[in-house]
Amino acid sequence: MNRLNELFAAKKDNLLSIYFTAGYPELGTTLDIAEALEKAGVDFLEIGFPYSDPVADGPVIQHSSEVALQNGMTLNLLFEQLADLRKRVSIPIMLMGYFNPVVQYGVERFCKKAAEVGVDGIIVPDLPIYEYETLYAGIFKNYNLSNIFMVTPQTSEERIRKIDALSNSFIYLLSSSSITGTALQLSVNIEDYYKRIKAMNLVNPAIIGFGITDQKSFNKACEYASGAIVGTKFVKLLAERDYLEKIPGFIKNIRA
Amino acid sequence: MKIKVCGLKYADNIEAVSALGPDYMGFVCYGPSPRYAGELDAGTMNHVPRSIIKTAVFVNEDKETISALIEKYGFDAIQLHGNEDAEFCAYFKGQVKVIKAFGINEAFDFKVLDDFSDAVDLFLFDTKTNIHGGSGNSFDWNLLDKYQLDIPFFLSGGLSLENLEEVKKISHPQFYGVDLNSKFETAPGMKDIGKLGKAFEIIKQEPMNYGVNEQGYYGDFGGAYIPEMLYPNVEELRREYLSILDDEGFKTEFNELLKDYVGRPSPLYHAKRYSERYGANIFFKREDLNHTGSHKINNAIGQILLAKRLGKKRIIAETGAGQHGVATATVCALMGIECVVYMGEIDMARQAPNVSRMKMLGAKVMPAKSGSKTLKDATNEALRDWIANPVDTHYIIGSVVGPYPYPDMVARFQSIISLETKKQLKEHTGSELPDYVMACVGGGSNAMGMFYHFLDDENVKLVAVEAAGKGVDSGHSAATTFLGREGVLHGSRTILMQTDDGQVVEPYSISAGLDYPGIGPQHAYLYKIHRAEYASATDDEALQAGLLCCQLEGIIPAIETAHALAHLEKMKFKPTDNVVICISGRGDKDLDTYIKYFGF
Repeated sequence: MNRLNELFAAKKDNLLSIYFTAGYPELGTTLDIAEALEKAGVDFLEIGFPYSDPVADGPVIQHSSEVALQNGMTLNLLFEQLADLRKRVSIPIMLMGYFNPVVQYGVERFCKKAAEVGVDGIIVPDLPIYEYETLYAGIFKNYNLSNIFMVTPQTSEERIRKIDALSNSFIYLLSSSSITGTALQLSVNIEDYYKRIKAMNLVNPAIIGFGITDQKSFNKACEYASGAIVGTKFVKLLAERDYLEKIPGFIKNIRA
Repeated sequence: MKIKVCGLKYADNIEAVSALGPDYMGFVCYGPSPRYAGELDAGTMNHVPRSIIKTAVFVNEDKETISALIEKYGFDAIQLHGNEDAEFCAYFKGQVKVIKAFGINEAFDFKVLDDFSDAVDLFLFDTKTNIHGGSGNSFDWNLLDKYQLDIPFFLSGGLSLENLEEVKKISHPQFYGVDLNSKFETAPGMKDIGKLGKAFEIIKQEPMNYGVNEQGYYGDFGGAYIPEMLYPNVEELRREYLSILDDEGFKTEFNELLKDYVGRPSPLYHAKRYSERYGANIFFKREDLNHTGSHKINNAIGQILLAKRLGKKRIIAETGAGQHGVATATVCALMGIECVVYMGEIDMARQAPNVSRMKMLGAKVMPAKSGSKTLKDATNEALRDWIANPVDTHYIIGSVVGPYPYPDMVARFQSIISLETKKQLKEHTGSELPDYVMACVGGGSNAMGMFYHFLDDENVKLVAVEAAGKGVDSGHSAATTFLGREGVLHGSRTILMQTDDGQVVEPYSISAGLDYPGIGPQHAYLYKIHRAEYASATDDEALQAGLLCCQLEGIIPAIETAHALAHLEKMKFKPTDNVVICISGRGDKDLDTYIKYFGF
């Protein structure tokens, strides 16, 4: 059991997660942002570690990664910053980023360090199922880390079943096949897709991500899944002056 | 390759050879032979495992004796070394396997074999001698090219530990196995088990496999490291590409377009003044003469035909120098399909004529404004486009990079380069195998195409030349194998230039087509196992080499190509060496750069 498992055991719906890129807009505010989000009532967090070539991200998160790298963010530094994580933040934390920085850091070393500082889950969009299963699943398990997989409207039922079997916290449901920051268009097709997933009665809860920007889209997502993740919209807020103070209001606007 | 051990006569020795597990064992039933096995006890033969085909060897024996011996010893095959005719052979066919032996020399008329085509199961080709049986000498195996029937044959005559590696290279489609005898003995009929053991090891050793495995890997390199959003697109390709490429209709259409539209085969030109200068026979494989001016069109034609068969309505591509962008725009115009090309903003400026060409061809050119604003960023943008348009769009990747199956698929489309080269070189030199094959490498598609059909010919040295930019250690370079480490880039595990933290480093080269921080995974593999040598040439060396090519051969090469030419200066050849260089593209697009550099 890690904090993610405990959270999902205790709370079944209306869960809210926020994504932000570590090192953006300033190098040293990673824990300040996390703390403010917890106080504002967010259920769990995704802290992004930046990468130079983020192919699954739209312009907003790309830009945040570029700035974070210019500011000097690295995995080494991030883990240093997270040394005090569990003194200041108690909600579940996931690290999210691309695979190459993890490969360079060393997958085992990365998992060990993540577990040490109190991280609960990892999201690496470009680590495929086959490689995870054959090479890395044992390492993740040893350090009690949940690996989170994504599912899109194009993912086959067979593959979703496989992902469900490999998961032990939640499944990241992409609201459409797109890069981050694309507006959620709740077409009939997407509703069908949500219904289809719901009807599969998966072991793991589903959390909807990509395209959640306001109360309306959050509530809609929660009709079909256990909760939703807000990324791009929040990263945009971080570009504003006095962003830390604006966090409570931002969260209230999404989940009244 | 099957193994036959022949000339056994001692019971203990037979048992020891059986333990090695040959496919055939031969027992000489011809009195005058020093290996005559006629005294053998029938019981000894019963101990030979049933998996081994027991073969009796006769010279002009009569049918009754042969039948009696088959009965007595339980032979599974007979091998006939005398003047037995086809009718004689046919008498035994069906009852036992029939192997008819012939002695081969320059004068041998392979037509005499035609009569036997229905009468025997196998031929055995031995060295021609005046006595019946082995001489211990081998014959000129090139003569085997004259054998055209579809009956498999054993090779015999003077096979030893010294020449087995050579034997393994015989690529005749009917080459069935080897017949080992006198070179593996301590005395006539007494086999040297140690030597035979070594021979079995050499023969059974699989040739190195340089191709991709089912999971899309070359050793540790390759795979498909892609986000789930790209999975359905890539999976559809993976599922379909081999059967489409194998389809007769596809092959016909592909080959016709290569011939009539691209202008293939591209010539293999014997560059005489280059040969003089570098002291070897230097050949240019003229991909620069292709329609659109480079090898890129080969892959673009292949992929557009594939996209059509997959029912795609829209094409996207990335481009560095613009050559692949132009090739893609061209085939889209040809097929009437919408085309969007992503190109780094910096590349758009330095390859302006190609941007205009793409626009003339009806393509939309989208600038990649992120990161280094060059090829890698154009690739990122194309991938993002594909994520957003998963159903109707096909992404024509221009190099042997990206997630599996792209590296393999693009290599297959480009492999036409080496396929033609083999044939053309044979016409020039009498042998299809050169001593050296050279090409420049950015992502590595012209090099992969140039290497492809030579990979298994281990004597052919493969040389790839990367762009060193302002010098490998200058901080402005694209020499990936010198500066890179293993990691993941654009969906495959490969070697890439990166920081300690795993951030991709922005490469530099004067040539936009080589300005890429990674190399294709198959190249990473060939580099790691030392099957190919990876060298580099600087901007200055390349430009000088480009000018030299203009002035010695009257050919203006692309600056990419000029990197491969530049490396000739550092090579040491023997006068007899045959060297093929892939002239991957023509230099028209680079005139501005050449003119500025040399001040013409």
